[in-house]
Amino acid sequence: MEGQAAIEYALSLAREHHERDADALLDRSDSLTIRVLNGKVEKVDQSTALGLGVRVVKEGRTGVAYTERLEPAAIESAFLAARENAALPDPTEVVMTTDLPDLPDAATLGLYNPALDQLGLDDLATFGLEAEAAALAADPRVKAVPYLIVQREQSSQTVASTHGVRYTQRQNSVGAYCSAMLEEGGQRKSGNHFWNSRIWEPTRARTLGGEAAAKGAALLGAKPIARAKLPVVLDEYVAPQLLGMYFGNFSGESAQKGVSRLKGRLGETIADAAITLTDDPHLQGASGSRFLDVEGVATRPLPLIEEGVFRNFLYHIQSARKDGKESTGHAGRGYAGGISTRSHNLVMRRGAYELEELCALPQRCLLVTELEGGAGCNPVSGDISIGVQGFLVKGGRRVRPVDSVTIAGNFYELMKGIKALGKRYQPNLSKRFIPAMLVEGLAVSG
Amino acid sequence: MLAESTVHKVLELGTSRGADFAEVFVEESRVSAIDLMDKKIEDITSGNSFGVGVRLLFGDEAYYGYSSDASEGQLLTLTENLARSHAQGAPGDLRPFRVESVQDRHPVRVDPDSVPKGQRVELLRHLDDLTRRHGEAIRQVGASVLEKRRDVLIANSEGLWAEDGRQYARLRLSALAEQGDGPQTATESPGVLGGYEFFEELDLGRLSEDAAQAAIRMAGAGYIDGGMMPVVLGNGFGGVIFHEACGHPLETEAIRKNASPFAGKIGSQVAQPILTAIDDGNLANRWGSLNVDDEGLPAQRTVLIENGILKNYMSDRIGARQVGVPRTGSARRESYKFAPVSRMRNTYIERGPHQVEEMIASVDFGLYAKKMGGGSVDPATGEFNFAVQEGYAIRKGKIAEPVRGATLIGKGFEVLPLISMIGDDLELAAGMCGASSGWVPTTVGQPTLKIDRILVGGR
Repeated sequence: MEGQAAIEYALSLAREHHERDADALLDRSDSLTIRVLNGKVEKVDQSTALGLGVRVVKEGRTGVAYTERLEPAAIESAFLAARENAALPDPTEVVMTTDLPDLPDAATLGLYNPALDQLGLDDLATFGLEAEAAALAADPRVKAVPYLIVQREQSSQTVASTHGVRYTQRQNSVGAYCSAMLEEGGQRKSGNHFWNSRIWEPTRARTLGGEAAAKGAALLGAKPIARAKLPVVLDEYVAPQLLGMYFGNFSGESAQKGVSRLKGRLGETIADAAITLTDDPHLQGASGSRFLDVEGVATRPLPLIEEGVFRNFLYHIQSARKDGKESTGHAGRGYAGGISTRSHNLVMRRGAYELEELCALPQRCLLVTELEGGAGCNPVSGDISIGVQGFLVKGGRRVRPVDSVTIAGNFYELMKGIKALGKRYQPNLSKRFIPAMLVEGLAVSG
Repeated sequence: MLAESTVHKVLELGTSRGADFAEVFVEESRVSAIDLMDKKIEDITSGNSFGVGVRLLFGDEAYYGYSSDASEGQLLTLTENLARSHAQGAPGDLRPFRVESVQDRHPVRVDPDSVPKGQRVELLRHLDDLTRRHGEAIRQVGASVLEKRRDVLIANSEGLWAEDGRQYARLRLSALAEQGDGPQTATESPGVLGGYEFFEELDLGRLSEDAAQAAIRMAGAGYIDGGMMPVVLGNGFGGVIFHEACGHPLETEAIRKNASPFAGKIGSQVAQPILTAIDDGNLANRWGSLNVDDEGLPAQRTVLIENGILKNYMSDRIGARQVGVPRTGSARRESYKFAPVSRMRNTYIERGPHQVEEMIASVDFGLYAKKMGGGSVDPATGEFNFAVQEGYAIRKGKIAEPVRGATLIGKGFEVLPLISMIGDDLELAAGMCGASSGWVPTTVGQPTLKIDRILVGGR
């Protein structure tokens, strides 16, 4: 069955079985990926992934089931399983929306460029081979390029309910990742660079390889630094990665369950007065943009922090009703799971500084350009403990590269310790727009 | 799972277009998950996946594609598209099928389908109750039951035809405690390659006590002063460091790209003679075990390091060919959506001669990392980073106050020779490992061991 027909079939089964409250969600993704190694395309993956999720709500009890096979018998099994699964859970405040808002055309969000669909294997291969050659030629200390991946992908999601919700949007992108391994004096460093876009720019191949090599070269010779409370600058790539691990705390559902320390703190100052953070679902071309959430609620921009003051939680229908509020349009879901709270595009208002200017504000600071894993970062407690690499900066000049150090602190202290913000967001497609930042109060151990 | 004639036609098409090796991987899987949070079962999920993956190898070049539509026409189109991407060559060999009899070494004693879902709901409510009994400090409990059945067929142009069934069961328990200075969480997540008997035989009292007490102790903990120090690394999940920092760089997927500090080091001394490390796919009903790997080769016990000497890598077909080592039955993939690569199974450090007390007593000031959280590694450089979930300071040879927020960082090949004492309390723990062929169940493990010095990040 085609996707649209499969969804309608699932809903027809709900009507046939007198289930008033049911919805269905179809995810489809198509991708072409190539990997390059030693001057050759060594791996090509072509994929089409499909999944249909069915949700049945009976007297506040939710059952969910999915199938990756879109044949009538498989869809019927999924529907019956969802119905059966709805018999056992505890009742919640969940209801299905019957309010159908007028929506602009999803295409106006600027998430889809048909020209990318014309890119073939040869285009991606040429790009990958050029990028690898550029990385190897950039610096004699580049000993290998273990990872060079070029990918074109397209995805779409359709949601539909027995109450008349129908919404489809699609997006696509093309991107590449290069990891170069450099060696000097027995020390090895990886230089990683990533590019993605909705516009195909073959000339990016050379910059991608060159940048990866340059990043690794800059880190060669890195050493730890002595333990200190040192101002830290997170660059515009690292800041969204680190802060992003803690943004789940803005979920009303997390607060209700006692796993967010923002519980009961609406109206309080939780960040420096320079910090304004908004969830903007209508940002042109941003990866998290959408007009309707997966429960059929219209999305709208929502301030989370205004000049340091905590203003709003994100809600889906169930969590909103529990707090006596309206959904803010933040229900998210993939075909294989149930409803959860999901932000769209988190945007932190920018500051006035270029990265180098930020680094020059304190006499001495640690500029962080790489994070190593996130296992020491606990979103519930807010604890931050993470290995980093970067540069020791004195008087605005990078004195030497630094590795084998950790930065430690707490997300809530970090938000209050932000002293200045950069003027740029990282240039790749994203759903997090967080500039570089100068932070005081983090412990640096090495 | 798929008609023999259809599989044959796909392989025939692939080899006739110049592939020197063609493979079909068919998978049907069923999952069922029940989550409890905030004393409530919020939703119950079940799912069905089915798909066919086709892989064609032209020398060192691999082409992979998959489809959930298993009609013969669709699969032949997919294969034609894959083959068309490659310059044509002379037809490859195609041999008639010989059916491998796959011996099931990981039997399911209680069929999950024979147990009503309501029993799982009761189990989760009971576990919630047991965990909350540990006192007022326990503020929240989350628990879930996850079961998965994977039936796979692997057939290839060399005539292999192997079918295997894999039943997984896992329980996850998370306790959140608060004692004035913000919440702390502790998690237990045991799992097996087996059936519902796993849940029936679990010691729920011990599980809830471990999670609740660890969360309570950490909620009352201060922070450790970071720096270079000796670390006594707890048994069981402590093995995650070996997994990340040494295991991944010992996969041929890293070796063949010259992206591993262990490349070219077979036969070299990489650790002290007390250290022996194994990757074993055959341990009965263990979470990371297999009957056959995802290329259809029977799983094996692979000695990685013996008495400090590097002995073997873990390899898949492509890795074995490119590195020039034998295949070890280590080819794995999350599902039909991924081509297989070399991955770990049950990876552990063997028992040693020391007692835990001896190791603690040998440290004047250091860290006892009783339980590790997760971590990550850059296989090319060996640089790793791990969180300590439950830690204690060691002062003058004794376990002292609990400490939180500690992170261990270093390089695998540098830390390995610094393991100087190994205990006799080997334990294994289930985990999920993510890499280029997706997320696969793996077991990590070790006895308690002492690392002479490692950088501990703290405050």
